[in-house]
Amino acid sequence: MATPSKQYKAIGEDLWKSRTEKVNAELFALTYGALVVQLIQDYEDYGEVNKQLEKMGYNIGTRLIEDFLARSSVGRCSDFREVGEVVAKVGFKSFLNITPTVTHPPPTSRPTSVQQTSIPTSSFILTLDENPLAEFVELPEEALEGGLWFSNVLCGVLRGALEMVQMQVQAEFLSDVLRGDETTEIRVTLLKYLEEEVPMGDE
Amino acid sequence: MSHHLFLLSPSDTPIYSLTHYSSKPAQSTSYPLASNLPTWSTSAFAGTLTALSGASSVTQSHHVPGGGVKMGGGQDRHVVQMIANASLDNIEDVMRRENAMYLKSVDKFNEWTVSAFVTPGNVKFVLLHDQAKNDEGIRAFFHDVWELYVKTMLNPFHTAHTVIRSAAFDARVRASAKKNL
Repeated sequence: MATPSKQYKAIGEDLWKSRTEKVNAELFALTYGALVVQLIQDYEDYGEVNKQLEKMGYNIGTRLIEDFLARSSVGRCSDFREVGEVVAKVGFKSFLNITPTVTHPPPTSRPTSVQQTSIPTSSFILTLDENPLAEFVELPEEALEGGLWFSNVLCGVLRGALEMVQMQVQAEFLSDVLRGDETTEIRVTLLKYLEEEVPMGDE
Repeated sequence: MSHHLFLLSPSDTPIYSLTHYSSKPAQSTSYPLASNLPTWSTSAFAGTLTALSGASSVTQSHHVPGGGVKMGGGQDRHVVQMIANASLDNIEDVMRRENAMYLKSVDKFNEWTVSAFVTPGNVKFVLLHDQAKNDEGIRAFFHDVWELYVKTMLNPFHTAHTVIRSAAFDARVRASAKKNL
């Protein structure tokens, strides 16, 4: 039996190839760049811009997961580790045509949690070696000092998408080549699994 | 043999400047202006206006068009920038007549020749150099600078009037200058 990771790679490749409507990468990068610059002009606070990008990503993610699940035949993931693999090899590949590498740091249990969590906190780190959103970008001084995460929309997408499949996660950037770091890394931490809730007002 | 490159935005504000000392052997010409510039230097346009007032004492019959250029310190830089500015009139004349991007040499002043290159987006590259016949090299250099400029323009944080501060751009322009000039 082929190892799951090879399977996922193949599925990702197929999905990317079978997608008939693709958009020009330059257009995509320029559009996103214009968006970020406009947000900076509107909000003038880089922390706020980060938040807005994340919110926008969240909205995108909640819808994107439907598209993803409809096209791919990937079933339920058995654990969070597998979630990381699928996100990186199938998800990112089919939408952005990049395959970030996944690393799983050893799970740590949070000692200061409010309620007793029986699941140790799992997380995975995605390392992007190329970022189509930031194709031509060079951050100016003020953005560097203000702490702007240029591609923060990706964190929102991850959060939104995973929330729709009953996982509450926190996604954040650890480093970014635009900021002068060695690599671009996003850490996705599982906060809790969401129980199926009866919508309010139903009987 | 030294060269001075200036990039001007469509509104004639300076975006970038570079002074380059070529190592290629040049015809020996005597320079009335003793060039005491260091071998490699760039100035970002953050000089003071007092330098501008000092420059008016230099005997120069041209009227300077093209807006107030802030100058860095140093007598030679004044004259160089004056020449560059004064040639803008000539450039615009030639532009009206010809449609080409590379306008060869548009102006002469003492031993300096001014060559210009105008991009479709009306950004002017002005190069001051001495008499050495290096047409092909200069053309190649301008094309290189144009490519680098286009890549810089794709940065969303950059507008047509932002000063180019990128170290990468600077390094590449110098490398191209070394190769072509």
